[in-house]
Amino acid sequence: MVAAKPTVDSIRAILGTVIDPEMPIDIVNLGLVHDVRVVSGDDGARAEIDLIPTFIGCPALDMIRDDVRKRVTKAPGVVEVAVRFLNDPPWSIERITPAGREALREFGVTTPERGGAPRPTPLTIAGNIAAPVGVGERPACPFCGSAKTRMESAFGPTRCKMIFYCDACKNSFEHLKPI
Amino acid sequence: MTDLADAHKKPLVQLLFSIADDKLVLGHRNADWTGLGPILEEDIAFSALAQDDIAHAGAIYGLIADITGGDADHLAYGRTANTYRCCDLVELNDEFDWAVAVVRQFFCDHFEHLRLRRLSRSNWTKLRQLASRMLAEENLAIGHADQWIVRLAKSTSEARGRIQHAVTKLAPLTPSLFEPTEGMADLEAAGVYPPLEAPMFDAWESMIANVIDETGLRAEFRAPAKDYVGGRHGKHSADFAAMLSEMTEVYREEPAAQW
Repeated sequence: MVAAKPTVDSIRAILGTVIDPEMPIDIVNLGLVHDVRVVSGDDGARAEIDLIPTFIGCPALDMIRDDVRKRVTKAPGVVEVAVRFLNDPPWSIERITPAGREALREFGVTTPERGGAPRPTPLTIAGNIAAPVGVGERPACPFCGSAKTRMESAFGPTRCKMIFYCDACKNSFEHLKPI
Repeated sequence: MTDLADAHKKPLVQLLFSIADDKLVLGHRNADWTGLGPILEEDIAFSALAQDDIAHAGAIYGLIADITGGDADHLAYGRTANTYRCCDLVELNDEFDWAVAVVRQFFCDHFEHLRLRRLSRSNWTKLRQLASRMLAEENLAIGHADQWIVRLAKSTSEARGRIQHAVTKLAPLTPSLFEPTEGMADLEAAGVYPPLEAPMFDAWESMIANVIDETGLRAEFRAPAKDYVGGRHGKHSADFAAMLSEMTEVYREEPAAQW
């Protein structure tokens, strides 16, 4: 019998089962996986996984790291798992896959349009006070589809989300920050 | 550049301590508002700001640990008071006056933006990458305090009076932000901490003036005097000693605790 050999693809498939504890989607669709390497050794393979955090202060990072380690360690032929979080490239909403965006919307979390991020620096320029992030955005309500939505709070339940409100169906929902 | 020159390590550690300590102390002060914000949205806002401040401080302590050895928790909580490099403005006890907390955030946000903008152009790759990431996050929050200053200054006479009082109280502490850390000129000349087009104080004052001018509030700001010695050289306010003792209580009790 030939022992199963882990490959980059088989490791990526495992990463696709790691769900972000604060988002209802997996870390591959969320765009957290930057690089996967499989290094063969005498007694088995070492899996090296480079992830990028959504926000530096995201408290879910340790849980994600532990979950990745736990799942990948179980893969046949893997003897060691190394997980790193990188600051570069920076995470952005552009990294969320179309399937990930759709899954988030079904869950009630909207994502700024692709191409909309990164936003220009919201600074006070030439005497004009720039609107804070989120003001003026009108994401379609994830529940009823109405465009009659508005920002309620730029700070939401997690670092990556804001609170929006739909004036049509009177529901509040979460909208990702345009980073 | 990938490697930092040995000659720049000591001054860079001083500069990084000033940034991390500012963020840790401000984050600790802002976290005091969790559960006590005047409205729910601001309760959440200040908690989120605190979370970012402390997480960013942690990342910078991690970078310092890469240069000097040691670990981030010890660097944050295990040092003696005179080795901290935070400034008087962040150390101030706001005594649960929310106007003071907002005005302090306003002054600090703009200063932090400028400091990170400089670091995001550093010729040391590791620092540049971390600072760029932090700058993108800070930029999501920088309008928050601006909006409150304008909104409250244009509101009732009580609200305006409280904001004016806070501005008048805190403006004399703002020179403490600009005191250079030991060896900063070398870092500037070497491109590790590139200067802005304008002097730091001038750039900051014009950003602050953009908002203040909109409101008609009275405020006067000064750059620190040449012989000013404060937090960047370990000379701290009385408020700091009390805060440090409270902030490090758990760590001192059980330095190896995990939570």
